[in-house]
Amino acid sequence: MMKKMLAFVLAMAMIFSLAACGGGNNATTAAPTTTAGGQANNTTTTAAQPATTPAGTASPLAGTYQIKVWAPDAAVELTKKQIDDFNSKNNDGIKFEATVEAVSEGEAGTNVITDVDAAGDLYFFAQDQFARLVLAGGLSQLGKGAADIVKSTNDEGAVNASSVGGDLYAYPLTADNGYFMYYDKSAVDEAHLGSLEDLIADCEKGEKYFCFNVEGSAWYAASFFFGAGCVSEWTTDADGKFTAVNDTFSSDKGLIAAKGMQKLVTSKAYIDSSDAGEFSKGAAVVVSGPWAYNDAKAILGDNLGAAELPSYTVDGTTCHLGNFSGYKLLGVKPTTDPARSAALHKLAQYLTSEEGQLERFQELAFGPANKNAQQNAEVQANPGLTALAAQAPYSTVQGNIPGTWWEIGKVIATEIKEAKDEAGLKAALESYNSKIQDVLKIDTSGYILVGAWNGWNNNDDAYRMENKDGAFMFTLEVPESDYMGGRIVTPGDWDTDKGCTIVTEGKELIDLERTDNNDNNIIFKEPGTYVITYNQAAGTITIVKK
Amino acid sequence: MKQYTDLEYLKLSKFRRGLHKLAAFFLSIPRAIAGLFVKIGLFLKNAALAVGREIKDIFLTFKNGDWKTRLSFFIMGFGNLSRGQILRGVLFLLFQAVFIFFMVKPTGGLYWLSMLPSLGKEGPGKAYDPVYDTYVTAFNDNSFQILLYGVLTIFFIIACVITWRINVRQNKLAQQILDSGKPLKSGKDDLRSMVDDNFHKTLLALPLAGILIFTVMPIVFMILVAFTNYDGAHDGYTNALFTWVGLENINTMLGIGAGSKVYAATFGEILLWTLMWAFFATFTNYFLGMLVAMMINKKGIQFKKGWRTILVMTIAIPQFISLLYVSKMFAQNGMVNQFLQSIGVLKGLNYIPFLSKEWPARISVILINIWIGIPYVMLIATGILMNIPQDLYESAKIDGASGWKQYTKITLPYMLFITGPYLLTTFTSNMNNFNVIYLLTSGGPPNPTASSAAGSVGFTDLLITWLFKITTGAESQYYFASVIGILVFIVVAIISLVVYNLLPSVKNEEDFQ
Repeated sequence: MMKKMLAFVLAMAMIFSLAACGGGNNATTAAPTTTAGGQANNTTTTAAQPATTPAGTASPLAGTYQIKVWAPDAAVELTKKQIDDFNSKNNDGIKFEATVEAVSEGEAGTNVITDVDAAGDLYFFAQDQFARLVLAGGLSQLGKGAADIVKSTNDEGAVNASSVGGDLYAYPLTADNGYFMYYDKSAVDEAHLGSLEDLIADCEKGEKYFCFNVEGSAWYAASFFFGAGCVSEWTTDADGKFTAVNDTFSSDKGLIAAKGMQKLVTSKAYIDSSDAGEFSKGAAVVVSGPWAYNDAKAILGDNLGAAELPSYTVDGTTCHLGNFSGYKLLGVKPTTDPARSAALHKLAQYLTSEEGQLERFQELAFGPANKNAQQNAEVQANPGLTALAAQAPYSTVQGNIPGTWWEIGKVIATEIKEAKDEAGLKAALESYNSKIQDVLKIDTSGYILVGAWNGWNNNDDAYRMENKDGAFMFTLEVPESDYMGGRIVTPGDWDTDKGCTIVTEGKELIDLERTDNNDNNIIFKEPGTYVITYNQAAGTITIVKK
Repeated sequence: MKQYTDLEYLKLSKFRRGLHKLAAFFLSIPRAIAGLFVKIGLFLKNAALAVGREIKDIFLTFKNGDWKTRLSFFIMGFGNLSRGQILRGVLFLLFQAVFIFFMVKPTGGLYWLSMLPSLGKEGPGKAYDPVYDTYVTAFNDNSFQILLYGVLTIFFIIACVITWRINVRQNKLAQQILDSGKPLKSGKDDLRSMVDDNFHKTLLALPLAGILIFTVMPIVFMILVAFTNYDGAHDGYTNALFTWVGLENINTMLGIGAGSKVYAATFGEILLWTLMWAFFATFTNYFLGMLVAMMINKKGIQFKKGWRTILVMTIAIPQFISLLYVSKMFAQNGMVNQFLQSIGVLKGLNYIPFLSKEWPARISVILINIWIGIPYVMLIATGILMNIPQDLYESAKIDGASGWKQYTKITLPYMLFITGPYLLTTFTSNMNNFNVIYLLTSGGPPNPTASSAAGSVGFTDLLITWLFKITTGAESQYYFASVIGILVFIVVAIISLVVYNLLPSVKNEEDFQ
């Protein structure tokens, strides 16, 4: 008998849970929009005729919005104050009731991606997370007006840092996301500041530590490679997906960098840290950024010095350590309500304006990205920012870099530390390089046509040849240009064996006489449509003009 | 292999006996596996027969039933209502009404079911709003909700089928009872029986429903995630839909098929260390804890309570605090190294890489785990040791047994008998010991050969911390986390089943009765 009752109880419990969840299904994201009913009506009715609203009457944006802002711990109070200022200053009748929560710039991106719905409407984040956030749909694109303002008032690097494929997705907030060297004047001979080897020797002699976070963070590890002239440049499409990479860490220059880094990481004085607190634990040098200035000053007082990074010398080559110059950005979470979205963007504009950035500098020593604010006398007198400026000629602007690169680059220092000899160093660089290639996840089976028609991009799938029982075929449109050439390669590679020398049919269509053809390229005489077939077994290419 | 009689066996040397046991164990494996398959076969056969019986019964009920019974096949509870069992009838009818309403309403059961095979058709879109000069996002299908509610709908349908079956059987019974001339139970009788002869069911209803809703369904849901491409770039709602990918993720993790082998290699490496860690963490704590308890229990030891209190202090301080503090202490320029430098054991800036090199770090975490694990075992062992009858020891002493003999023949068997299941649960929980590893080393030092693409893996990473890194890492690959979860479950289940059956507490139940 009771079995039935049990079944009922179970069933009823399920009905409740289903009914409760099922009902809210469509409305979830729109839920926390405008607050009180009256004000919500106000915004929606005026929204119908906003463009014609004459000056002086209520803006279509007027209303009270409840928002959540994620700011780093130190900036919470300041952000609250700035939002209050905005409420009283703006002409649109926008009023924000904001809760400001402390979420560090380093973690904001991960938290947003974990649950976009629950994320702050505005959030401060460091540039390394930008690419991930765009891919994850965590950033709302800037409107045309806002984009124009950002482009005209901020420095060029800042604009690049917050755009993908020409579209802006965030507001530059600070331009101080770079690192340089803090040192203890009593422990380091200032004449040695230019040389990494001398500094390490000073530290070892004085039994002091040299703190450089190369094992814990790719951001710092890249310093040695940039110093040696290596690059790691990534290209994205308009959606923020990574399509190509030019990475030269695994090269002769990279080897020099690896040897330089080995000098540091194998030293007993080396500590993997970027924390200014290390000064209280016996550090003489800490490589860190402007945000560490106040802490370091509190510990060392007048003994604190700040300088550009030193140089290292390997096999007679002297390389000045480079750095990333990056930005901290302010992001707006995408919403479905245009009025709310526009109002949030207004607030973001205010927070990142010249005034807002200067205020942030004065309160928190955050270096501004705004061109006018950078010219401010106080900003130029800050020792941390001065050192950063001295380092600027050696810095690499941080572009869009895939999230996994930071994890790949992190272990390179450990591998270099463990390497016993030059072969070990080369192996470390090689392993780094193969991981980089893995990131793009190129399908290396089959063949693609690489050449002038696709900008010599050997990672792109677009010119992939279709496999028909061992004969790879592609119908190619060759546009008019000076050099209408290219060849067949395996994706991600540059093999030169499948070029004009193995063309058996259609030789009359290609230019065999060109003297600049060192790579055995197939160079067409005329633009047009060609059917190219590569027979893998026979190793022959046939070309037919359509 | 040769079968020995008891006498022959006892005549063998110790070494030969061990060899014999070992051979017998390995020879028994094929038989055990065959037995398992036979059991599974029997189970399937019985299940099929049971389903066949049910269907036959339903068919016969319809064939032999009167019109009330037959109509109840389509309107649940009709038979109950027409025969005067109002309460049951109303409940059945209500259930059917709710079920139909839920299934047909917009974005109801039918919608979820129809979307389940594709997990959504239209992803989110972005549109420019020229009036406000801003971009707004249009959110469409939500793969996550489709998967969740799809699973719920399936559970609901199963519940409905079961209820329908009960409804049919009730009609059959009611008909039989009426035919035999007895009265049917009224609603009052039903209510009374809920607190009387069926009281156990009343009590169990809530916990059972809770387990089903809060444990079983989430597990089913999470397992299904392993077969999708749900990750940071396909979160199913805000950026892109996710969809089914079949066994692809499991194949990648196990290195089956053409795909990249880095995950398989990393998985193997971490699994090996996880098992090593679980073994050492469990048994070092167990034996050392027992030793400490025995030392404190020894006659003539002063301040017993004091010693115990000191040890229990480590339990009183939250691990979050103590472990983070300890990890700072053992850092390169932490307190321990600086102390050793200042007393001259280490010259200059030399240091011991407690947590920054592969094997030192692995040994350090095991040693530090001893420090926080011993008090627990000590507390348990103290209670048990006090319970061992003293006359056993006295007679052993009279027979001239040494202390070690007493330990291996009396104390250890007694302890193992009682704490066998505890050992097993400790082993499994150590396999998933997130706190100690993550708070001490965060999985580090980094392991350069393990793929960075799989979330920067370190030498002390356990599967559980790797799982955490994968979900919070650059790509938030939730599907890999789910795959790892499933694999961890399989490993733990195998170990638990095998070890459980070997436990003295299970094998020789009557030994210490």
